[in-house]
Amino acid sequence: MDFAFSPDQQLLKNSARAFLDEHVTPAAVRLLWDDPRGESETLWKEMAQLGWLGLSLPEAYGGSALGMVESAILLEEMGRAACPGPYFPTVLAARAIEEAGSDAQKKRWLSAIATGDARATIAFLDADLDWRPDAIQTRAETTAGGWALSGRKQFVPWAHVASVLLVPAKTPDGLTLFLVDPGAAGLTLEPAQMMDPATRLASVTLEGTPVTGAAVLGKPDQAGPLLGGLLSRGAVGAAAEMLGAARRCLDMAVGYAKVREQFGQPIGSFQAIRHKCAEMLLEVENSHAAVYYAAWALDAKAEDHDLAASVAKAYVGDAARKVCGEAIQVHGGIGFTWEYDLHLYVKRAKALEAMYGDADYHRELIVRRVAA
Amino acid sequence: MDLTYSPEDRAFREKTRRWLGVNVPKDDPKTLGERKAWHRRLYEAGYVGMLWPKAYGGWEATPMQQAIVQDEMARAGAPPAINGLGIGFIGPTIIVHGTDWQKQRYLKTMLTAEEIWCQLYSEPNAGSDLASLTTRADDHGDHFRVNGQKIWTSSGPIADWGILLARTDSKAPKHKGISCFLLNMRQPGVEVRPLKQITGSSLFSEVFMTDARAETRDLVGSLNQGWAIAQTTLGYERGANSLGRVTRYAIAFSQLVRASKELRRGGRPLLEDPVVRAKLGKIYAELEVQRYAALRVLSSLQKGESPGPASSITKLSYTEFEKRYFELALEILGPWGQLIAARDEFEEVDTSSGEPGTWATAFLWSRAGTIYSGSSEIQKNIIGERVLGLPKEVRADRLKA
Repeated sequence: MDFAFSPDQQLLKNSARAFLDEHVTPAAVRLLWDDPRGESETLWKEMAQLGWLGLSLPEAYGGSALGMVESAILLEEMGRAACPGPYFPTVLAARAIEEAGSDAQKKRWLSAIATGDARATIAFLDADLDWRPDAIQTRAETTAGGWALSGRKQFVPWAHVASVLLVPAKTPDGLTLFLVDPGAAGLTLEPAQMMDPATRLASVTLEGTPVTGAAVLGKPDQAGPLLGGLLSRGAVGAAAEMLGAARRCLDMAVGYAKVREQFGQPIGSFQAIRHKCAEMLLEVENSHAAVYYAAWALDAKAEDHDLAASVAKAYVGDAARKVCGEAIQVHGGIGFTWEYDLHLYVKRAKALEAMYGDADYHRELIVRRVAA
Repeated sequence: MDLTYSPEDRAFREKTRRWLGVNVPKDDPKTLGERKAWHRRLYEAGYVGMLWPKAYGGWEATPMQQAIVQDEMARAGAPPAINGLGIGFIGPTIIVHGTDWQKQRYLKTMLTAEEIWCQLYSEPNAGSDLASLTTRADDHGDHFRVNGQKIWTSSGPIADWGILLARTDSKAPKHKGISCFLLNMRQPGVEVRPLKQITGSSLFSEVFMTDARAETRDLVGSLNQGWAIAQTTLGYERGANSLGRVTRYAIAFSQLVRASKELRRGGRPLLEDPVVRAKLGKIYAELEVQRYAALRVLSSLQKGESPGPASSITKLSYTEFEKRYFELALEILGPWGQLIAARDEFEEVDTSSGEPGTWATAFLWSRAGTIYSGSSEIQKNIIGERVLGLPKEVRADRLKA
């Protein structure tokens, strides 16, 4: 039983922290806010060189074959930096291709993702605001050359820069996952402007969009369980990023409480402030336990891995909201300004709270598992 | 990072489970004699004083093994050992600060529960501000004469000995005039009056000392060093209950689920009500996080690391969780949650105190955890000052000192 990071994991954490501190400064994040693509090609290629994009991919495709714990370590650090870009959607989509893809599909996409030449994303959410795979309404009908997809996907992360979209759709055989070219006919992307300027989401409308038979990822009708597993991973990854953002907010609040003086003393000496900070630390430490337990459970294929993923997402979503909110409160007026950097992290955590199943969704999953 | 139990720990768990399967009494021991006899069997099996040095009768087991025993005892519904305060805290204090004579005289009988111990720290006007205590111990050569009143003393009526903090120098600054003694509770100058709590039972007492006698040989550490001794954090029981506590929460949760299936509203079981489901899901997530956090603490203890002031986070976390847990349970159960005599199986739960009772008892007991052993406010001060490094507050008594 060892809950601490191994020396290699600690090294990964330290090097990620050092890299992001240098290259993803608050000023760099703000520059990308105003960028139409919202991400940096240079940064993306550097991440590829650091091995981050292939972190969990098989070595045959240029990856390092590391686990969810390592991914969570990286994602926590990215959350701490409010790092913009399609990192997590891409590695999650890569996971889907690795799990279900044919050799040809893996060859086509995995190496390209590891080298930073391709980006990918999964269109989980359909017209209904429901994360359950069986709520998906988008349909695929057979055509002479393959399939035609019709439906509307909402809040698809980084679809505007993706080289490939993973789109689940209902077929006569059941729910099936398709690899879709974003430039295909009948496909319209409509970027959404979100509260977090670094979170880029788009709706994807499919009107008879043609795909070939070779575009089916995995077996027809097997998309449900596949998406369920990906959603668990997505939940843990999002929780890790929220944890990083929340810890940054806590650090900023504590730092500020030590130097900001009112009534002739640092405000951190007042119990009203100190107790808030203590409660924030409690939430951050519990979130750490939740994230890394869940990440480990996925890697170890522990019996409770899906449960732990839902626990992490539900718990950390609530915890991060509290920590980020209280960080604004501790800062007072300065925390409400655009100029001060706190909102970079507050908004990152908030954006992820709603993704990969919000707390309500995961609480329901928990009850299904433990109160059957 | 590897959260699997080692083969040794798994084997130890199996062995413990088998032992409990054979030995747990069918009926809970009721009299003090029966409880002492059960304690003695646990001790002889190696399940009491697990982290104590062998030189003093302990077993030198690992923190993980100790936690596993508590976990298995919770699972088996085994009656607890007694003398917990003595074995968890007073004994280790004597081991670290006591004289050889004190160690020889007190430690073994404490472990075996032949002598029961209590703690005489809090006073009516010295709670969170413990150092303002006013019980006096005046030097009379071979003994000190003790006068004053203590409160919140667990096991008071059955205690043979108490660890006492008393003022020995009234002119010194308040933290510097306190000494620590071992006090014989079986003497005419000591009167124990049970204190009835909001649960209706009396697990605590008030203790009145009128010219009570503390022998000079029973002074622990040096004269006027009592505050430092009381502040020593002793790791002998840390993490001991971490797993067992969560197992008790989980057992109560399954009772709550059963209740939600049996109780109905609007023509359907409560469990089918989305509002109830959301509450259950929320509390179960928190419960699991308590388990993960316990594993994290144990893994660090196992490596010989001392959590230091960070243990305040653990205490704050589970005691505040317990309040939310039982509040939510009572919200779900409605008036069923307020029964104080169980009529059905799901109505009786294991309360945090070890006192068996209903959800109502557990709900009431959950209010105690955030007050005793340093209230949540005191824990937050410790976390703020000593973990986060926030500046100390300006306090009237510090200004005076």
